[in-house]
Amino acid sequence: MADLRIKIGSVDFKNPIFVASGTYGYGTEVSELADITVLGAIVTKSVTRYPREGNPPPRIVETPSGMLNSIGLANIGVEAYIKKMIPLYEELKTPIIMNIAGSTDDEYCEVLELTELVSSNIVGYEINISCPNVNAGGMEFGVDCDLTEQLTTRLRKLTDRLLIMKLSPNVTDIAAIGVAAEKGGADALSAINTLVGMSINTTNKKSNIHYGYGGLSGPAIKPVGLACVHKIYQAVDIPLIGIGGITSADDVLEYVLAGAAAVEVGTANYRDPNIGTSIIVELDTLLDQNDIGSVPEFVGKVELGS
Amino acid sequence: MKIEIATVMENKLIASNLWKMKMTAPDVAEQYKGAGQFIQILVQSSWESPLRRPMSIAAVDGDEIAIIYKVFGRMTQILTELKAGTALDILGPLGNTFRWDDNEFTAVLVGGGVGLAPVLNMYGECTAAGQEAVLVLGARTSVEHFIDHKPQNNVFLATDDGTTGIAGTVIPAIVKSLENTSKPEILACGPEPMLKAVQEFAAAHQIPAQISVESYMGCGVGICQGCVVKRVNGNVAEHSYHEKYSLVCIDGPVYQSKDVIIG
Ligand SMILES: Cc1cc2nc3c(=O)[nH]c(=O)nc-3n(C[C@H](O)[C@H](O)[C@H](O)COP(=O)(O)OP(=O)(O)OC[C@H]3O[C@@H](n4cnc5c(N)ncnc54)[C@H](O)[C@@H]3O)c2cc1C
Ligand SMILES: Cc1cc2nc3c(=O)[nH]c(=O)nc-3n(C[C@H](O)[C@H](O)[C@H](O)COP(=O)(O)O)c2cc1C
Repeated sequence: MADLRIKIGSVDFKNPIFVASGTYGYGTEVSELADITVLGAIVTKSVTRYPREGNPPPRIVETPSGMLNSIGLANIGVEAYIKKMIPLYEELKTPIIMNIAGSTDDEYCEVLELTELVSSNIVGYEINISCPNVNAGGMEFGVDCDLTEQLTTRLRKLTDRLLIMKLSPNVTDIAAIGVAAEKGGADALSAINTLVGMSINTTNKKSNIHYGYGGLSGPAIKPVGLACVHKIYQAVDIPLIGIGGITSADDVLEYVLAGAAAVEVGTANYRDPNIGTSIIVELDTLLDQNDIGSVPEFVGKVELGS
Repeated sequence: MKIEIATVMENKLIASNLWKMKMTAPDVAEQYKGAGQFIQILVQSSWESPLRRPMSIAAVDGDEIAIIYKVFGRMTQILTELKAGTALDILGPLGNTFRWDDNEFTAVLVGGGVGLAPVLNMYGECTAAGQEAVLVLGARTSVEHFIDHKPQNNVFLATDDGTTGIAGTVIPAIVKSLENTSKPEILACGPEPMLKAVQEFAAAHQIPAQISVESYMGCGVGICQGCVVKRVNGNVAEHSYHEKYSLVCIDGPVYQSKDVIIG
């Protein structure tokens, strides 16, 4: 048996397989279908200061080897999260990472502060910076180094828990954004969020997503995710969590080789909410077969050249 | 709900572009609660198509469940090619059911196209329970129908081109079917234009109605938040959750007709 345990910042995880924000609800919806207790961690759906209804339908459409989504951050809001979800997590053996979204620095901070006020076994926060900043003319936090560093610095002051900044691939230089988040005091970075995409029905000339654009996810984006992780790995010293198109243990190893210390499985959960568990079992076998004792030995070990 | 590997028992064309598949699925059959519920089918294991496809349950008989489907695109085309004996990965049963509190009404069951399955299922359940029911099925033309127009047995067919049954949409056929019914309640499923017409008709005639709606489905279990339908709810607070948009996979697919906005 390979040793699947990993450490990010000061937090120990029993394995490197997490489930991605927005692809596993609040973690408890699918307990009938999946053994969620074996997952390395559950990253919960982005939570905002107030509840949000989200966008009008259609919100999703399948695309080749992937899908587009424009959910619009539909969520219960931080107060309900604290009241209804956090107590459920007390009984859960799986570490919870709370994902936070906002439209101003203050909003992110308020969500985090309110959560810090209550006792909980949340192990960390993942910050979704692929959100429009209303104070910066709607430009996303995650496309600008200064906005990213400022937000990270403010959040860092509010918590000793794991602070993970989740990076957007819709930028010119993702490594530079990673460096900015590291400067701001992030413990780790996760990448990637979805890529902007579009799908059109030629019969009725309508966009298949209500507001035109959606976020592309699924196996189609794996090569993009890998390249992003590899670029960031070379630019920063903090651990990375690889996301994008993971459906198998082999995909996990690819991300680890590119530089990820752990991974998050997203879209694949929609097909099978138990896929994370299957990947953990598969990964154990794969590591044994390749004589790899533990995951950390392998991080960033991809070889370039012929 | 369960993920189960079902076995295809029969898969055949029953009318123009309309297929019926029977499969053994003991777990899904055991948990099944009633007409309206659906399954999510993983048609093929390649990740070229990551999402499952939703299909209403058309009948449950012991360990066996049936679906009735129309070919729309790639995955429904592949479904037609599955032979008896093939293993099929399904998730279900999902969603809610048509509601049915007592036998003091006449169920006016209205279906067409992709919406035949839950309606025929409900018809079977009414018949088995001695519940008064009339069946109204719509199609474009006669070859799309697979049962006979028999008003004396309370089965009314409609065709857009008048080649079978009553000419026109399902609405004139519903009007006809109401002639001898007392305390009707409409239960409908079908393409969007049909559901809209039924919704308007029910509202105009103050007939209670339940409709099973369709929306593009991702997970089927509430974790993606993709499959929403807009609720009729004038007083949504500025900050609310699931007041304006309802998740079809969990809250639906069956709604009171007056509660949702289609299209
Ligand atoms: C609750 C529910 C019950 C349904 N029951 C039945 C049924 O009993 N019989 C039947 O024939 N059809 C039913 N449908 C519709 C059926 O799911 C689609 O026709 C099918 O998914 C098409 O897949 P495809 O690959 O052949 O088509 P594609 O080529 O993928 O797309 C063709 C069209 O099918 C629809 N569609 C595609 N994917 C989905 C999806 N994931 N969710 C919803 N719609 C989709 C879209 O309108 C799309 O434009 C139901 C849908 C829902 C939501
Ligand atoms: C329907 C859907 C909803 C999502 N919601 C969120 C969200 O609320 N917050 C967030 O940070 N990422 C969200 N994501 C992005 C995923 O967490 C992940 O970064 C992305 O899907 C890429 O991984 P994948 O290819 O494995 O799906 C969402 C993705 C999908 C498909």
